[in-house]
Amino acid sequence: MRNYGPIDDFTVIELYSDVQVNRDNVEYYRGLAERKLLINRCGDCGTWIYPHRPICPECWSWNIKAEEVSGLGSVFMWTTLMQQRSPSAPHEPVPVAAVDFAEQKGLRYLSRIVNCRPEDIYHDMPVQLTWIEIGNLEWPAFEPISDSGRGGTR
Amino acid sequence: MARNPLKDQLAVVGIGSTPYGRDLQRSHLSLGLEAAIAAIRDAGIDKNEIDGICGSGMTPLAQGGSGFLSLQGALGIDEITWGKNSWLGSCFVYAAETVFSGLSDMCLVVQTYVRDPGMSRSAHADPFRRNLTKFGDIGGDIGGSDFAKRWVHSGEPYAGWMRRYMHDYGVNKDAFAYLAVNSRSHGARNPAAVMQQPITLDDYHASRQIWEPMQMLDMDVPVDCAEAFVITTAERARDMTDKPVLIHAMSLGGTRVGEFYENSLPWTENAFWVTLKGLWARSELKLDDIDLFFPYDGYTIDGVGVTEAAGYCKPGECGDFFKDNWDEARQVLRLNGKCEVMTHGGGLGMGRAGGANYFSEAVRQMRGQEGARQIARVPEAALIAIGSFFHDPCAVVLRT
Ligand SMILES: [Zn+2]
Repeated sequence: MRNYGPIDDFTVIELYSDVQVNRDNVEYYRGLAERKLLINRCGDCGTWIYPHRPICPECWSWNIKAEEVSGLGSVFMWTTLMQQRSPSAPHEPVPVAAVDFAEQKGLRYLSRIVNCRPEDIYHDMPVQLTWIEIGNLEWPAFEPISDSGRGGTR
Repeated sequence: MARNPLKDQLAVVGIGSTPYGRDLQRSHLSLGLEAAIAAIRDAGIDKNEIDGICGSGMTPLAQGGSGFLSLQGALGIDEITWGKNSWLGSCFVYAAETVFSGLSDMCLVVQTYVRDPGMSRSAHADPFRRNLTKFGDIGGDIGGSDFAKRWVHSGEPYAGWMRRYMHDYGVNKDAFAYLAVNSRSHGARNPAAVMQQPITLDDYHASRQIWEPMQMLDMDVPVDCAEAFVITTAERARDMTDKPVLIHAMSLGGTRVGEFYENSLPWTENAFWVTLKGLWARSELKLDDIDLFFPYDGYTIDGVGVTEAAGYCKPGECGDFFKDNWDEARQVLRLNGKCEVMTHGGGLGMGRAGGANYFSEAVRQMRGQEGARQIARVPEAALIAIGSFFHDPCAVVLRT
């Protein structure tokens, strides 16, 4: 697996050139480049903050740090994209899910569901973080947590 | 009750609509100007009486669009004292509030929609439509390669909400199906509607899955079109016409969800509930007084949300409510024995105008001007609710 190691701001901006990387979300993208899923968190009251913003909505603290999440969660809602906008896009169905993270009620992250047939997805299905390669970069995705408590095939 | 000092103080005195078409081969500005001229003529005023303009879109300086700068220049309106761009439901409210505040006495609203390349495969193949997105007026970065930002201004979460709604309330797709059939039945009677063929409940269920479980017939029809209105004071309106259509109450609504739509609040806390609560806190007319109802139908799940938020039925009961209020002979909704719904066909039947065509239909019906489509007992009160679960919702009660 690719590991970029610690990387500077210029490299982050270059790696994610079509995304608006700014000072509020740069640690998230630096984390992605290092294959870690980081979410901003309030250093004073502990509230997780997503999307990435510079203050805590609960206590208005500016003491915000990006912290790695466990990658455990459950499916809040999902849709299966049967048609992409661009006719040149691949035709296979793409399941898109809003995943509730275990860390905090309502802390939710949009991602692909992989290693699972679309028809097997269900509301509140337990999922865990995995990584998939797209466009030469590694991106978060989520897969069902199997009955044994371990993930699907890697 | 909340304060409602603008009660019946404002009026819609002009309306103008362009033809609707799947491929009119015209710019936003060209469509907007046609609607604007029609609305100004309908109001019977000189163009230089217009002193406020609410144009289309979200970015004041968007080029090639029908923003207020382009409209004022193109229409040759000498001076305005208020200008702004907006869309969906909020445009109407912004224009009304500026007349109420005194920043404008005669405000023009122009809303243009074109079949944009993000909305259909055939539109994507048209290089002119594709080029539009480069200067698109929503603006900014909508995700790029980061899948996690895909639901910033996206329709896909509405598909997720359809499934979540059915799951949480243990219901099927009836509510969505009735709305779709209602709009298409009305659209088939409206010569201006793009969709002239009515559909059956079976057609609805058989339509193609786009964002499963959302189907083709859950989605409004992208078209090229424009709508325009002129709003002024009730006092001035009485000089212009015997029976002006008055703005009785209105509300916008916002929630703390922000711009990442996966962070949705529970069903009964989305922006439609906030907006309708705000409306009923201000309106002296109540649901029983409403003769005409326009629940936003960008997606059928919007219309279901509006219907429940308006208080027609309890959350999750919209399917049963529609079934009980279904006119089998006409294949349309007739709520509580009196209220007609989306009589021009709405976005699903007439074509996607971001809800702007609800206002023109309501005003024409309330003036008794719809000819063959005129409701026999001319409606005296209309409820219009437009917008997104997440942004720019409005709710308006019009009365005569
Ligand atoms: Zn805090």
